[in-house]
Amino acid sequence: MIPSSPEAREALEAAMLRMAKGDRAALEEVYRLTNVKLFGICLRILQDRKEAEDALQDVYITLWRNADRYDGTRASPIAWLATFARNRAVDRLRSGKVRRGAVSVDEAAGLSDDTPSADTMLIDAEREARVHSCLETLDEKQRTPIRTAFLDGRTYAELAEQAGVPLGTMKSWIRRGLLKLRECMERGE
Amino acid sequence: MSAADDKTPGNGPELAGDERQAAEYAMGLLEGEALLATRGRIAREPAFAGLVAQWEKRLVPMLDDVEGLAPPPELWSRIASDIEDGAGESEVVSLHRRVVLWQRVAAGSAVAAVAALALLLVPLVQAPGPAPAQESTPLVASIPIADTPLRIGVTYIPGREELLVAAEGLSADGVHDHELWLLPPGEGAQVQSLGIIAPGTQKRVPLETETARSMHEGAQILLSQEPIGGAPDKSAPGPVVAEGTLLKT
Repeated sequence: MIPSSPEAREALEAAMLRMAKGDRAALEEVYRLTNVKLFGICLRILQDRKEAEDALQDVYITLWRNADRYDGTRASPIAWLATFARNRAVDRLRSGKVRRGAVSVDEAAGLSDDTPSADTMLIDAEREARVHSCLETLDEKQRTPIRTAFLDGRTYAELAEQAGVPLGTMKSWIRRGLLKLRECMERGE
Repeated sequence: MSAADDKTPGNGPELAGDERQAAEYAMGLLEGEALLATRGRIAREPAFAGLVAQWEKRLVPMLDDVEGLAPPPELWSRIASDIEDGAGESEVVSLHRRVVLWQRVAAGSAVAAVAALALLLVPLVQAPGPAPAQESTPLVASIPIADTPLRIGVTYIPGREELLVAAEGLSADGVHDHELWLLPPGEGAQVQSLGIIAPGTQKRVPLETETARSMHEGAQILLSQEPIGGAPDKSAPGPVVAEGTLLKT
């Protein structure tokens, strides 16, 4: 099964619903369909393989313990799971206990440029989401920090330092960018 | 690009108000008190929680730019064995499952009894509610639980003989109880029990008059691990697993 195929998405939806009813085998199916995606997200945020593994374990265990809160009305389980994994990884990062950046992510993951990426279930396989095209409409000074904040879990202070600008300037850039992003996305909602 | 550009990229209005707070939360930009306050709003204000959800939904397709990677194969075994520790899980239906989970032993955790219960839009923290009209400022202690993003919130309104304890993030392990203690500031101060935590709840806890009088700014609030039923000796807490300080809000 190709992870991003409509069949895979349906399989995930069905597995999530079975899991919500306490079906332990369904959790394994959810794991099988989503672990590559969610591990990629955790590793990107945490930049440390061990931390990312712990975060991923925490994500699925928490998911299982709260499975009965999942109600099949959510539009996309993979989007929901990706948000959940990202937020948990960012929480872990903010807890201050993560030694980040000690090992580069490529080193940590044992990756090299020619390693093919594993099959991944995509949130938006057709890249139809407005956020992609709307990000393109932003000034580069707004787009880059917004992407870095979201994908790498960076704080305002870290982004300001990276860009070599005062904190207030970075906040302004991002807040202007977010307003433009919202206006652009609302036109498509 | 000129230096002038550096100072004025994308001149114009900024996102403000609730939308900004919701967007910054969804982006993961908030820290410290702003983060706690925002989680409190998500808990109390469905309209605000909706704004956050909307932002999360807008932003999440960006995560497709992150390359997927297979975790080590043994990770599933770790997850499975952690879940299997629950025993009898396969026969348990949804209605009963949470009860069973609360009785299980959380293996290998620094704070063995503490397990994350919160999901995505269910806030991890119950921030203290808005202060009612009072002549005194409420005292609040936020007690972080090791190795988790969870906190126990303790709120005391001066003059009252009760305490508000928010322990939504905690789950019982069936082997221990957790007990809250007050350690007033100053040398030689005696610890006083504030009672056993009721996991997964937000509760009003009655206080002895004498204990209520000791609730001052700067006092330590300790969380200890005890046998079921609480500390046998009310002058001596068991191992302290977390702590916080009462501060004015």
